[in-house]
Amino acid sequence: MLRAFFSYRKGSLALCGVLALGLYASAADVKTEVTTNAKIDSQTFGGLKARAIGPAVTSGRIAAIAATQGDRLTIYVGAAGGGVWKSTNGGLNFDPVFEKNTQSIGAIAIDPSSTNTVWVGTGESWVRNSVSVGTGVYKSTDAGENWQLMGLPESEHISRIVVDPRDGNKVFVCALGHLWNANEERGVFRTTDGGKTWKKVLFVNADTGCADVSADPQDSRILYAGMWQVRRKPWTFSSGGPGSGLYRSMDGGDTWQKMSKGLPEGDLGRIGIAPAPSRPSTVYAVVEAKKTALYRSDDLGESWQEMNSSFNVQGRPFYFATVVVDPKDFKRVYKPGFFLTASDDAGKTFGSVTVGGANFGGGGFHGDTHALWIDPKDSNILLLATDGGVYKSEDRGARWRQLPGLPVGQFYHVTYDMEKPYNVYGGLQDNGTWAAPSRHDGGISSRHWRVLGSGDGFWAQMDSKDPDLAYVEYQGGHLVRVNKSTGKSKQIGPYAASGEPDLRFNWNTPLQSRPSHGGELYMGAQYLFRTTDHGESWQRISPDLTTNDPTKLKQEQSGGLTVDNTDAEKFCTIFTISESPKNSSVIWAGTDDGNVQVTRDDGKTWTNVAANFSGVPAGTWVSSVEASNFDEGTAYATFDGHQVGDLKPYVYRTKDFGKTWQALATTDLKGYAHVIREDIVKPNLLFLGTEFGLFISIDGGANWAQFTGGVPEVAVRDIAIHPRDEDLILATHGRGIYIIDDITALRSLTPEVLDADLTFLPARPGVLRVPTLEQRFDGDGEFVGDSPNDGVTINYYMKKRHMIGDLRLEIYDAQGQMVYSVPGERRRGLNRVEWSLRSKGPKTPQATVLVPDFATFVGPLAAEGTYTVKLIKGSQTYTTKFQVAGEPDSGITSEDRAAERKAATQVFGMVERLSYLASAAGSLRDQAADRAAKLPANDPLRKKLEALHDSVKKLSQGLAASREGGFSGEIELREKVVGLYGAVNGYDGKPTGSQLAQVAVLDKQLDKAASELNAFVTKDVAALNPQLEKKNIPPLKIQTQEEWKKQNENKG
Amino acid sequence: MLKRILMVAGAAVVLCMPATAQTVDEIIAKHFAARGGVEKIKAVKTMRMTGRAAGQGGEIPIIIENKRPEWVRVEFIVQGLTGITGYDGTTGWQVMPFMGKKDAEPMSGDDLKQMQEQADFDGPLMDYKSKGNQVELLGKEKLEGSDAYKLKATLKNGSVHTIFIDADSFLEVKDVSKIMQNGTEVEQESTASNYKDVDGLLFPFLMEQGAKGSAQKQHIIIEKIELNVPIDDARFKMPAPAPAKPAEPAPKP
Repeated sequence: MLRAFFSYRKGSLALCGVLALGLYASAADVKTEVTTNAKIDSQTFGGLKARAIGPAVTSGRIAAIAATQGDRLTIYVGAAGGGVWKSTNGGLNFDPVFEKNTQSIGAIAIDPSSTNTVWVGTGESWVRNSVSVGTGVYKSTDAGENWQLMGLPESEHISRIVVDPRDGNKVFVCALGHLWNANEERGVFRTTDGGKTWKKVLFVNADTGCADVSADPQDSRILYAGMWQVRRKPWTFSSGGPGSGLYRSMDGGDTWQKMSKGLPEGDLGRIGIAPAPSRPSTVYAVVEAKKTALYRSDDLGESWQEMNSSFNVQGRPFYFATVVVDPKDFKRVYKPGFFLTASDDAGKTFGSVTVGGANFGGGGFHGDTHALWIDPKDSNILLLATDGGVYKSEDRGARWRQLPGLPVGQFYHVTYDMEKPYNVYGGLQDNGTWAAPSRHDGGISSRHWRVLGSGDGFWAQMDSKDPDLAYVEYQGGHLVRVNKSTGKSKQIGPYAASGEPDLRFNWNTPLQSRPSHGGELYMGAQYLFRTTDHGESWQRISPDLTTNDPTKLKQEQSGGLTVDNTDAEKFCTIFTISESPKNSSVIWAGTDDGNVQVTRDDGKTWTNVAANFSGVPAGTWVSSVEASNFDEGTAYATFDGHQVGDLKPYVYRTKDFGKTWQALATTDLKGYAHVIREDIVKPNLLFLGTEFGLFISIDGGANWAQFTGGVPEVAVRDIAIHPRDEDLILATHGRGIYIIDDITALRSLTPEVLDADLTFLPARPGVLRVPTLEQRFDGDGEFVGDSPNDGVTINYYMKKRHMIGDLRLEIYDAQGQMVYSVPGERRRGLNRVEWSLRSKGPKTPQATVLVPDFATFVGPLAAEGTYTVKLIKGSQTYTTKFQVAGEPDSGITSEDRAAERKAATQVFGMVERLSYLASAAGSLRDQAADRAAKLPANDPLRKKLEALHDSVKKLSQGLAASREGGFSGEIELREKVVGLYGAVNGYDGKPTGSQLAQVAVLDKQLDKAASELNAFVTKDVAALNPQLEKKNIPPLKIQTQEEWKKQNENKG
Repeated sequence: MLKRILMVAGAAVVLCMPATAQTVDEIIAKHFAARGGVEKIKAVKTMRMTGRAAGQGGEIPIIIENKRPEWVRVEFIVQGLTGITGYDGTTGWQVMPFMGKKDAEPMSGDDLKQMQEQADFDGPLMDYKSKGNQVELLGKEKLEGSDAYKLKATLKNGSVHTIFIDADSFLEVKDVSKIMQNGTEVEQESTASNYKDVDGLLFPFLMEQGAKGSAQKQHIIIEKIELNVPIDDARFKMPAPAPAKPAEPAPKP
């Protein structure tokens, strides 16, 4: 409602979203400048904000769920790579509440005795090959508003947190510890002082961590823990070993016993344990062993009996070892896994809970389930954490609804096309390949995302020769060509030639378009392949570029106790490819086993330059190579050693084809490096994606600063720069796609700029367009990504935050007329001020109701041409110019726009003229009544005044609706003129012939009203005033339009 | 005058910059000193702010009037129609004539609570203890590129305001408030800037408001602030309904 606009201190205007006005973009000329040693920080980028566009329709892996059923169901969701999300309405909508901290979540626990206290363990424990890392355990005492790091920074992965229901200061943290190397900060930790201090109460060895801990629901001195010996390497992983075991404490964690009676002999793997809330003596455990099975104890874990070893109970323990017991029925046991199965006979038999049985595709929930929350008040209500978001059931799992407010997809890569607006494309962990428009009026929501490929998605590439073709991948190096218009897809990947060894494709197989040759692609196995016919055939253009180390070709033995050969550990493969945009014969390839190979003769000969790097351990995974856009000898490389326990960022540049490399990593960086991109306009502008975010250098890598404008500490796996729209596009592994609109301002940051008190920076020209409007009412549950703002953006840099005195921008047209004034942004660093390219709306005649659709709320669209900005800051004035042009390819010519503007301006004038006439007539009417009331009833002058009043009133009533009541339907001149104004002004092209004719018709009616009013003034008023004066009664006075305009300068 | 205020504020900053951490009371004391001093603030008995609200290309004139002890009236004009919200220390009311209804109506409980907060002439930090408000320091954060103290003010009525005080000037930069609407918590934020001197006191002449985290913001641009001008008590009282008049026949076309 309108009232909400204007409570001082509160806000939320939404001055009718309807009125948004238009702009789009094209390139600005920015000179490339060489800068040296520009010290920047996150605040330098100030008002530059990334917008998240999702998707949430396909979400991402969820590792943990905690909920509390108070008056309303409050849910905390922990995403594998996308932070903590909170809902206070049963999951209808979610807000991210962990934005300033590590986004990989392993565990969440709500203090049962004080539900505002929430604990979060970072670092997911479902440790697949692509898992992220954590930075310790965090606590909030205000229901997620503020968080504090409480310790265990080296725990890396936290599987579970248990808060003592009777003493909120007593908390157990089940820390898995390092996945890729040995460490000591692992096991079960206990605090008794709310996290100030921690004691490691259960520790096996530096290779074994804690996979699960749970407490007896009635006696929290009784605890169960599953200890897990696990190790990953890039080429293999091993679950299980002598360190694994099921432990119990009867004294609140002081001492622990390893339990074995009835459990399998030999090495164990991952163990998940759950006592039954309604009968705590019964405890269930899923135990990975040679024969993985569900076990049950009916004597507090003392002795165990094997119950069930069905497919879903046994499957992938490293990924699914969890078991959940119904809070009311100790016999009802759920086993999350590939899907969700349940037992109603205390673990003897298991069946699918869904009415459709196991589901792959179609309805139901996303497969691969990791956590289940059951409402303790009503155990029909379930929340299920899957690889594709959270699902809710209200019928004990028979049917499910996806909660569509969680944009936590884990992208590997992103690319774009050249449509208008451009689309983004990318592949997601376990969620296929998706595409969406970069902008959509009203926001980018689930229905705008389109799926192009299935399985695990990675790279997608567009075909610039045939824009209907998209190339997408799924795991195992499978390549598919999709016709976007029909949805048809064709498998097109290369095969090993006769006599060649099998091809080895990385989990995340590299696929690159050739910048020099539209429609041609590279794909990397251990060899580099190239297609010149849209994938119909492939040429091998390299020998094996990897180390081909037989000790690292162990995919088939991967898994440890449970073989897990899914291509996820396929090794000695090419991982990254880059062809020089300056010379297509120069091609770079980086391998997962540390080789950096370059050819300068289009693949005839290759040189391994890996030995030329200093400071990076040999064999470290090459996470990206990037050929320079400016010089064929220049390239960049990043290395990522986290899969051997080395979490340092490695960033290098060569200027001599790899003979020498300069290290570019500084202490400004945080997180291991995934990708580097060199700007396409300014060579010194570099973008680096690490495990903890986006970093930018404006001086060729001498200094870096984290970009924090809307991007949390999420893994940035890929970065693309749209060459036409100059947007930076980020693929995050946990928060979907982000777009930073218009990076031209970044290109002009120089030491001189950084040193200036205030200086303008370039921006894209303003683009005239009227946004489209869809009438939809989709409710509040769905995540909707922001679309870029329409209008023009004015960029400036300020050295210091503005607090005192004026700061505003005045915008002048080519004739020097001020067309708008807008408050300035005030931050230190880069500021962005937006103007909608519309002037203020016309003064609208007062009536009994507002004008429909707020049509007169805004003025006409600006003319094309050059505008001048005067920025007034205190006593200083700064001036710059910007361009405004029509939307390209809109089918609307400059002449059309000019015609629209002319007509809109004319009707604008008519609205204001009518406002004046209505005001003047109303005033005359009221004055006549006022003067009449001062005279005796039978005074002839009074009669004349009353007659004048009645006549003028009749005129007034014809000018604007005056009947009371919201839906009177009354149409007077105001309603007609305003309706015409809205019709002409709501479209950015030529007005219709009918509209132009109507302008003339209404203009005549205005003339008629004006002459009628004028007649009253020249005849009646002129005649009456001398008589009034004689009786010492103030004369009747009519304002001129000029006087009226001046008086109403600042009135709505 | 402005210069003098700045010098006073600046001196306060320099003099009170101990090596130890700032306490809540120190920050609040410096904040009011930076504004011009508690005495001067309290000497203001009435205030009228005239300006406009702007957002999404549209602009609407607005007048905010405050009078001690705790009265407030906000008036805004859309297409010649005047909307009003008012509070006289007891009754909160509103006139929303935009759909043809001209009479004043009493406010709902949630709206009234917000009105009462607006009516607190000096804001929740002034004399917070005697008002029954609790204030704690949550730390220092970067805000719009500069350090700010983050104060959490829990009001007697249960509302929570997180108030950011610029660590340099000690002026308020931002207020994030949690209010209850229909039993559901809603967060809104208001950023203050363009401070100017009015009779020896600094006031923000620009506020940017909106739902927390939303890109949709509106500006409140203040053009004039008048202190201690006479404002009739009647302006804060809920107006009686207009006398009923017979419906007029529709005029003939």
